Amino acid sequence: MNDADVDAERPNGKPILEAAGVVKRFGGIRAVNGATLDVREGSITALIGPNGAGKTTFFNVVTGFYRPDGGRAAFQGDQILGARPHAIARLGMVRTFQITKALARMPVIDNMTLAAPDQPGERLLNVIAHPRRVRRREAEVREQAIELLEVFDLARVAEDYAGTLSGGQRKLLELARALMTRPRLLLLDEPMAGINPTLGRRLLDHMQRLRADEGVSFLFIEHDMEVVMNHSDRVIVMAEGRVIADGEPHEVRTDQAVIDAYLGSGTVVEDERA
Amino acid sequence: MILPLGLTLNFFTDTGFWIGVGVLAGIYALVALGLQLNVGYTGMTNFGAAGFMAVGAYAMAILVLKAGFSFWLSLPVAMLIAIGFGLLVGLPSLRLRADYFAIATIALAETVRIIAQNADSLTGGNQGLFCAEGGAGACYNDAWTNLSTTIEGWLQSLGWTNPESLAPLLIVVWLFVVGATLGLRFIQKSPWGRVLRAIREDEDAAEALGKHTFAYKLQSLAIAAAIGAFAGFFLALDLATVHPLDYEPVARQLLGGARRRGGLLDHPRGDAVHRLRPRRHPDRSTAVLHRRPGADRADGLPAAGDVRQAGGDGPR
Ligand SMILES: Nc1ncnc2c1ncn2[C@@H]1O[C@H](COP(=O)(O)OP(=O)(O)OP(=O)(O)O)[C@@H](O)[C@H]1O
Ligand SMILES: [Mg+2]
Repeated sequence: MNDADVDAERPNGKPILEAAGVVKRFGGIRAVNGATLDVREGSITALIGPNGAGKTTFFNVVTGFYRPDGGRAAFQGDQILGARPHAIARLGMVRTFQITKALARMPVIDNMTLAAPDQPGERLLNVIAHPRRVRRREAEVREQAIELLEVFDLARVAEDYAGTLSGGQRKLLELARALMTRPRLLLLDEPMAGINPTLGRRLLDHMQRLRADEGVSFLFIEHDMEVVMNHSDRVIVMAEGRVIADGEPHEVRTDQAVIDAYLGSGTVVEDERA
Repeated sequence: MILPLGLTLNFFTDTGFWIGVGVLAGIYALVALGLQLNVGYTGMTNFGAAGFMAVGAYAMAILVLKAGFSFWLSLPVAMLIAIGFGLLVGLPSLRLRADYFAIATIALAETVRIIAQNADSLTGGNQGLFCAEGGAGACYNDAWTNLSTTIEGWLQSLGWTNPESLAPLLIVVWLFVVGATLGLRFIQKSPWGRVLRAIREDEDAAEALGKHTFAYKLQSLAIAAAIGAFAGFFLALDLATVHPLDYEPVARQLLGGARRRGGLLDHPRGDAVHRLRPRRHPDRSTAVLHRRPGADRADGLPAAGDVRQAGGDGPR
């Protein structure tokens, strides 16, 4: 259904994120063991692999949450490996978490407005010296936040504490919140997990729209092969801390290394439709 | 605790006593506001409030007595020193996880007290600071005593025939409490305060959204240090001495809910006993002789409740 879009928006090939030889050890385990991958600008790239393949750990390393044990990574040409998470997020590469981090004792709307960039009121001096500017920006931000919440069906719980949301709603909130930062590249860790199919579709549509309208790129971890095969234009496969395959969905599906890696879980092999 | 009260119950009807309690309640309400910012809003378990107070009070007294500063100039400078101390505490220890951070803050506040007790030439050691050279010269609170007398004059002209000597301090302290409460409420409601709350909820989430959490935590500490310094100044004016044992960083500062205004109150000695001490010694040089005897301090857990009831500044 979206294939036409995908063709029209064929990524121009320039990488937005380039990671080479990324290593992360935990004691004796090499959770990420020399992963090398590129994410192309304007692409929706899926990152797949069996449980424990190191996908989440890879996210944690390139977004600054874990200190790397080796390798390099550049975002839009800037070296990012080893930088602090907030600095990387400000460059425009923003991630969500597999285990959601809703700010429970804050209203949903505050979770959203918090994420907005360029709020002068986040500096104490401006709070005191420029209250009007702060309020004006706050009004703008609030409007954007409500719009986004509507997309994800969360507008009616905007004033509720985020802690009262269901698991799926938290997932959506986290995604919406990440979008509030106006990222250039979004790293989504299993965004669809626990989301009902209708909303899941809406989420995917929204990703397509952001890519088309604003050129936002996506790298998302996903286990649902139907989603991966139909909604991504590139698929990167990790197993045991390394990238074992990288290509268009149909190429990856028939890749022998991928099939081997998935033996036992069997998800890829089964999924021959679409 | 019961015993001395049983002997002299009449202080309950003594206005001077209650004004003294009110001053202390105000001082600890200030401490509580700083803690509320750190613990309640930023999620930093800071047990070092007594350290901020001590640094503020000592810096003020030392600047006046040993460096020849005027009292009024010493206040902002001492506040800056306390802020500097807050940042110094924060820079290494904020990288620690919450529980270790708490331990580090207790340790640093204790360090301050121990230094105060031992750096005799600077801090007067166990005698504390009072006046220059054994009472012969100026005292650090002379400027305040003058202002206090002026305020007493105003109170008289308003019809209070014989105002209590601590009434001016009570008024000034509670003006500060109200000011600090309103000021903090204003900044906590701002986007800046929202970032603090996000840090309390989940520091990683805040970082992932591009917030420099470390810088915010330092700011939170710095503000608490500034407020703590003022609490220290007021305690020094109240007790008319700066003494190391008034600044014990006891963990029991945490009573009641951390987010509740007035929920964190305590008193270093806590009970009414020391209130019975003469407040202003006619001859200050003798003050040292009847400084609180040991029994004064053997009170175990203080009746912080007394202070709170008297202060009436928050639900339990
Ligand atoms: N903080 C940690 N400490 C120790 N080991 C870890 C840590 N984080 C991850 N690991 C280990 O690293 C390996 C990779 O984990 P990771 O979470 O990256 O897998 P994943 O590919 O995201 O799996 P899933 O699809 O199940 O989410 C696992 O063996 C895991 O046990
Ligand atoms: Mg994972």
